[in-house]
Amino acid sequence: MNTTKRVIKGRLVNALTMALLDLTLATTAFAHHSQSEFDSNLPVKVQGTVSKVEWKSPHARLYVDVKQDDGGIVNWNFELPSPNTLMRRGWTRNALQPGDEVTVSGYRARNFPTIGIGKVVTGKDGKAIFAGSQE
Amino acid sequence: MIRWKNEKGPFTSMNNVLSFALLCAVSSAAWSQWLNYPTPGIPRTADGGPDLAAPAPRTFDGKPDFSGMWFAAKTVSDACKKEGCITEERMSRLQVNLGLTLPDGLPYTQWSKDQMKVRMANGGRDDPHAHCMPPNYPRAWTLPQYTKIVQTPGLMVMLHEFNAAYREVYLDGRPLPEDPNPTWNGYSTAHWENDTLVIDTIGIRDDMWLDIQGSPITSRAHVTERLGRPNFGTLEVELTVDDPKAYTKPFTVSFDMAIEVDSQMLDEICLDDEQDAQLYE
Repeated sequence: MNTTKRVIKGRLVNALTMALLDLTLATTAFAHHSQSEFDSNLPVKVQGTVSKVEWKSPHARLYVDVKQDDGGIVNWNFELPSPNTLMRRGWTRNALQPGDEVTVSGYRARNFPTIGIGKVVTGKDGKAIFAGSQE
Repeated sequence: MIRWKNEKGPFTSMNNVLSFALLCAVSSAAWSQWLNYPTPGIPRTADGGPDLAAPAPRTFDGKPDFSGMWFAAKTVSDACKKEGCITEERMSRLQVNLGLTLPDGLPYTQWSKDQMKVRMANGGRDDPHAHCMPPNYPRAWTLPQYTKIVQTPGLMVMLHEFNAAYREVYLDGRPLPEDPNPTWNGYSTAHWENDTLVIDTIGIRDDMWLDIQGSPITSRAHVTERLGRPNFGTLEVELTVDDPKAYTKPFTVSFDMAIEVDSQMLDEICLDDEQDAQLYE
């Protein structure tokens, strides 16, 4: 292969990789996931009350009760990074408690309407609780 | 703890044995978690931070000591910061594509291309890592969890946070086995070339993935990792994979790992609460 072809092929390979990388960041964001799980075309942002926090591997989980227009309540299940990652950012298992008011933005699971991957969690004061140093 | 020659004088093999025994004992027990405990023996700058440019520690016989907690020096977080997204901060970009830094990418055989087409067609849902299977070196270097190296004169142990896994690398001069039973990490021996530790590995299973996009590695692979520690803060890894079933020619990828100090390993037992597989359909 001559140099020009090699460069073009290299760029193509890297472009494909970057596309996959972007998809990885936008959707799963975690190594231990299938790409088919969450959909970056399904952004979600909900406001509600924490009903439960699960502090387990491979992912902490934040359950949020969200009031609907008809008065009903839907319980969302948001996947967070691993407790290890959160602890290394200074989080603890008690950082959020049932009853706390939060807003969670992220992406919805491809085939499950009330399961998502959390991207940013903000508290009642509008400040990001969870995104840590990356915000 | 293991003491370094340039910090507290030479350490003895008995110290190593005791340190490793203590480490094993602690690993199996519930322990306090001190993520910011000031570890003795760390070279420090005036402000108390680790002196990453300090000389690499050496063992009593003058070899580089690779002991320490290591994570990928270049991570996906760099890209993620632009989005402000939540990601596993320590995941190497090479976890997405091990051939990312090679101009032509990895030299896949047709068999590999066919394998990867299947693996990606279903969104990577068959990735062993996505099903909480053990971390497998060399892939484990690029995962977001830490590798902790414990080095003794005859044996190097790599502890990995994901599933609290381990890998043994023999430094006692033994040869590679003739026909090892294939395993997740294979069978590893090592020898010194000046200050470089050369690890040879064979006996890897046929169904392993090297990255998220499904780059294969098979039981025909001979993996060579050349480890160097140019300073206190850096572990250099030069990885060569010679796998004629999966790749048309051997390829070499180089990457750096960065030291983590004043911290400790945190077990991440994936099957503890794995809930993602139900979402794959």
